[in-house]
Amino acid sequence: MTPARARKARGRAGSKVAGGSRLDEVVRTARIVVCCGSGGVGKTSTAAALAVRAAEQGRRTCVLTIDPARRLAQALGLDLLSNSPSPVSKGLRGSGSLDAMMLDMRRTFDELIERYARDQQQADRILANRFYQRVSSTLAGTQEYMAMEKLYELHESRRWELLVVDTPPTRSALDFLDAPDNLNELLDARMFRLLIAPAQRIGRGYLRGLNLATTAMARMVRRLTGSELLAEVGEFFAAFGGMYEGFRSRAQHVYDLLKDPGTQFVVVATPDAPALREAAYLAGRLASDRMPLGALVVNRVHRAGPVPEVPPEVVAKLAAGADDARLLADLLTQHQTLEALAAAEQRRVRELTASVPSLPTVQVPLLADDVHDLPGLRRLGAQLFA
Amino acid sequence: MLTELLDRARLLVVTGKGGTGKTTVAGALATAAARRGRRTLVVEVEGRQGLAALFGRPPLGHQETRVADGVMGLAVDPEESLREYLGRYGAAPLARLLSWARLTRFITAAAPGLGDILLVGKVWEATTRRPRQGARFYDLVVLDAPPTGRIVPFLRAPETVAELARVGPIRHQAERVRELLDDPELTRMVLVCLPEELPVTETLEGASLLRAARLPLGPVVVNRVSADHLGDRGGRLAALAREPGPLAEAATQAGAELDTKALAVLVGEARDQRRRVEAERRMLRELRAGLAGLPVVELPLLLDGVTGAAEVATLAERLTSDGPTGRADPAPA
Repeated sequence: MTPARARKARGRAGSKVAGGSRLDEVVRTARIVVCCGSGGVGKTSTAAALAVRAAEQGRRTCVLTIDPARRLAQALGLDLLSNSPSPVSKGLRGSGSLDAMMLDMRRTFDELIERYARDQQQADRILANRFYQRVSSTLAGTQEYMAMEKLYELHESRRWELLVVDTPPTRSALDFLDAPDNLNELLDARMFRLLIAPAQRIGRGYLRGLNLATTAMARMVRRLTGSELLAEVGEFFAAFGGMYEGFRSRAQHVYDLLKDPGTQFVVVATPDAPALREAAYLAGRLASDRMPLGALVVNRVHRAGPVPEVPPEVVAKLAAGADDARLLADLLTQHQTLEALAAAEQRRVRELTASVPSLPTVQVPLLADDVHDLPGLRRLGAQLFA
Repeated sequence: MLTELLDRARLLVVTGKGGTGKTTVAGALATAAARRGRRTLVVEVEGRQGLAALFGRPPLGHQETRVADGVMGLAVDPEESLREYLGRYGAAPLARLLSWARLTRFITAAAPGLGDILLVGKVWEATTRRPRQGARFYDLVVLDAPPTGRIVPFLRAPETVAELARVGPIRHQAERVRELLDDPELTRMVLVCLPEELPVTETLEGASLLRAARLPLGPVVVNRVSADHLGDRGGRLAALAREPGPLAEAATQAGAELDTKALAVLVGEARDQRRRVEAERRMLRELRAGLAGLPVVELPLLLDGVTGAAEVATLAERLTSDGPTGRADPAPA
């Protein structure tokens, strides 16, 4: 550790590694940064602040976001209609560049179908299928998978030195790690045969057991949903024939890309117990999948300034006094409340960092204003890289 | 409004943007109802064990378990209920070939909404259960539901599939579920919000989605509202930041050892707090204006976070008290 890093490490309560300098290294060297965490912890702002920093340090950067606040989206010039990155030029400093895009999940899925279809006719048949339309927008994990799909596409274009992406706030925010698998299972030809192919076409001999199962499956689905849905599903799989391989290898590439050391995951949380629990789960899950874990960012941390302790009887005396004295008593009470809140938060953060000992941690104090423009993102950045 | 609802409703569906504290509010509503003497069940459906964490209990299972005084808790596991259901329809041989995990995932994909149907079905069953020997029944069920973005497809899953499925048990159950959900005498949607930009936007969007789906809206609960200790006197802070003389004098007279630096910290913190409170009030005004008359209930930010039945009970009390949380929106400062 350099002396500067050591100083920072010492100065930061509750963490052993200087998170700020680690994040600095991440935005200078990584090719992909994935921000994940539960909903409402400031993932999008964090991702955007990291991207702005990288761009202003001279890197060609693109930020891919899922569901930004309206005003932040406006500040970044985001437009759902395009589903492709557009430059954020207004107010950006330095020699780098910043593009931003907001994911259109459905469009991304459609584009994927068009890429792997044999011809336009096959693509059209799938896109018009009711089962496809339903699945492509409602299947759990699709949004996650499409975010990763888009990330891969942007990466392959080699237009950018750094891609920053925030993940959807799903109940387990790393569903996208399973999403390729889930989708592959859905599209698996064997499953399709089991589900709907006429039993006699499957074969003979050892497959007879399978025949029985197939019939049972088809009967079950028919009983549950009626035969119309089944017909739609059948048409979908028939139309999908020949595309499985493309999807499967694509999913594998996405997974490998996420595992590459050029990728860094940044787990984002707030000092609330549920957000910290989710962060601990995410860090553990990333570690067990051997995904490169960059840093933990804890947003909206309360901090109290240094004020000497005033004995309760003095506060009581102030409270019973004239206007100015009463105001001072209230200011002191408010300060004590803030101190207690800050202490409780630090306890909770320490519990998490103790469970993931080597994770560099950055704490970002609660900002008095919402972050919704470039100067706001710079202010957030100043805290992130402190 | 809220106490009346707690005394009369049979089902409260708690939804909101992720991270707003849905589970906390669901737990507080259940506790408040139990304290008013109603047999209450609180149900979670996302397999997160949020209720166990909230009440400081070991993980909840498929069985209804006591989580606090007068409050029973249940965690319906989506995959487990699907397995149970498929088992009844003779899927066991298939499961041996493919494994239950693959089978349930595939079925969930092939018959979209089937998983949700089972969860909604379980909630319906618990709500409409009749007293009979040995069976536990409830006056009120509080559902810690999926977030706003998913709530309508979740609650309407039975019908969505029923549209495609003209026959079978799903069709039949869908009609029963709809009768319960659509009746404002029985059921209310409770949206949980924070006094911040994104949650307010999502709450307003959620309210119009629920309205469009004709699901009966109840009150909106705004969670974690910052306290304002200073009121009108906050206006003096700017002057005191420039010239802390009056505070220094008051400190000296009372024997409080506070130098200029300490006073500057105190005034600075109070100004930050005031800016936050004002920003929150702007958001609350925007929320109230957009909700067009729906009642809004405020809950305070608790110091230690909400973990354990005692903290939940504190919030429950605030929910039903006529204290400062329920007051009218003050005039702009």
